Amino acid sequence: MNDVVVMNIWQFALIYLLLIIVLIVMKKCRINQTKLLFVASLRMTVQLVLAGLALTYIIQNPHPLFTIAYLFLMTGFAVYTVLSRNKDINKRFKIVVGVSLSLTGLSIVSFFILVVVGVSLFNPQYTVPISGMIIGNAMTGVGLGLRTFNENIKSQRARIESLLNIGATPQKILIPFVNQALETALLPTLNSMIGMGIISLPGMMTGQILSGTLPMTAIMYQIAIIIAICAVTCLSIFCSLYFGYKTLYNKRQQIVS
Amino acid sequence: MSLFSLRGVCFKDIIYYPDIEIPENLATFICGESGCGKSTLLKLLSGVASPSAGEITYNTSSILKYDPVMLRREVLLCGQSAYLFDGSITDNFAQYYSYRDLQAPTTTEMRKFLNICSADFLHTAECNTMSGGERQRIFTAICLSLQPKVLLMDEPTSALDDSTANSVLTNIKSFCRHQNITLIVVSHSKAIVEAFADNTITLEGGSRHE
Repeated sequence: MNDVVVMNIWQFALIYLLLIIVLIVMKKCRINQTKLLFVASLRMTVQLVLAGLALTYIIQNPHPLFTIAYLFLMTGFAVYTVLSRNKDINKRFKIVVGVSLSLTGLSIVSFFILVVVGVSLFNPQYTVPISGMIIGNAMTGVGLGLRTFNENIKSQRARIESLLNIGATPQKILIPFVNQALETALLPTLNSMIGMGIISLPGMMTGQILSGTLPMTAIMYQIAIIIAICAVTCLSIFCSLYFGYKTLYNKRQQIVS
Repeated sequence: MSLFSLRGVCFKDIIYYPDIEIPENLATFICGESGCGKSTLLKLLSGVASPSAGEITYNTSSILKYDPVMLRREVLLCGQSAYLFDGSITDNFAQYYSYRDLQAPTTTEMRKFLNICSADFLHTAECNTMSGGERQRIFTAICLSLQPKVLLMDEPTSALDDSTANSVLTNIKSFCRHQNITLIVVSHSKAIVEAFADNTITLEGGSRHE
């Protein structure tokens, strides 16, 4: 196996040319998101370079504290991102989402690293990239689930009101919204599993193969991570919504939103 | 003996209600300008909203003493939104009944209540192609069929023409009288209030404080 070719910085810079094509298409189709494209590209670059620097340091100077700090920072950022995209939910709901996302994410990460891979949770070489993928996917899933849940609740006000008026319990009224949002948010993960290996070679596997890992080893990691992602998405959305919807009604069984 | 009485009730410091008594087994109509709190009054009576101050009693005890969901089943609010599920009339009865943990009514029972509401459509008819007025009557029939002790109706004839409105209200009122159901109706139509009210409560638009 060959080691990966280390890219020359100037050759690497050429990849940014592709963004100009995106820009031209956006201009042509009058998509008024030029600023977003710039900000997104810039943030992506800066954040990744910073992460690269941090990782270089952490991997060269492994210390349990660094790994734990990285885990907590990342989890905190994931929670912050989800909540900042769903500002209109109440405070108790926000707490439920934060706790659900952190606990389910960290449990699945621990199970993966400690039991499946069988190394220490403090080993940054495993914990940092794997927790990144697991918690990142949980974040996307919870974000999508929350958005679907909120949008449906808003667009179905009349249904909720009518059912409440005729004496249905808030639990019975709201549970279908929880189930529906969970289904919607799970589908992208499930669908991506269908095409895997044929349509797409997933990122982690590609990366491992590029860096010289045997393809069969890379595939075992990939299968494990996909299942972990599926589980964390399902669990984190379920906990967020199932415990979260209970914050939408009060003791008088009135919907307070 | 009043069924409901309100003492010093206000809602979110926006709507201040006078003290109100509502008698049992009669048809009480609530009128007043829009924004004076007619719909909110119905919500307060059925307990889907709570007053920020004051007390509401039902059958001589505070409504806070009742289990909120049980109260709503007894004091049922047939709201203005008149939501119907996708599907036929039968499906809609079945859906609403299942949300109440009740067995779906028989076709004969459905017919009876649809007839009361002048909604003589085939029970297999699809609801999503119906007009606003048709949907309103079907929704009213569903609410009525749940046989509450008090039926609160918010503008039940807003989407109906005069003659249909008259026949629907005539039927509902006579049904309620026979079943000892107290009827409390919000309506902005003077003609309807004059024709059907046993008792009228007029809320002042000016009772709204800034």
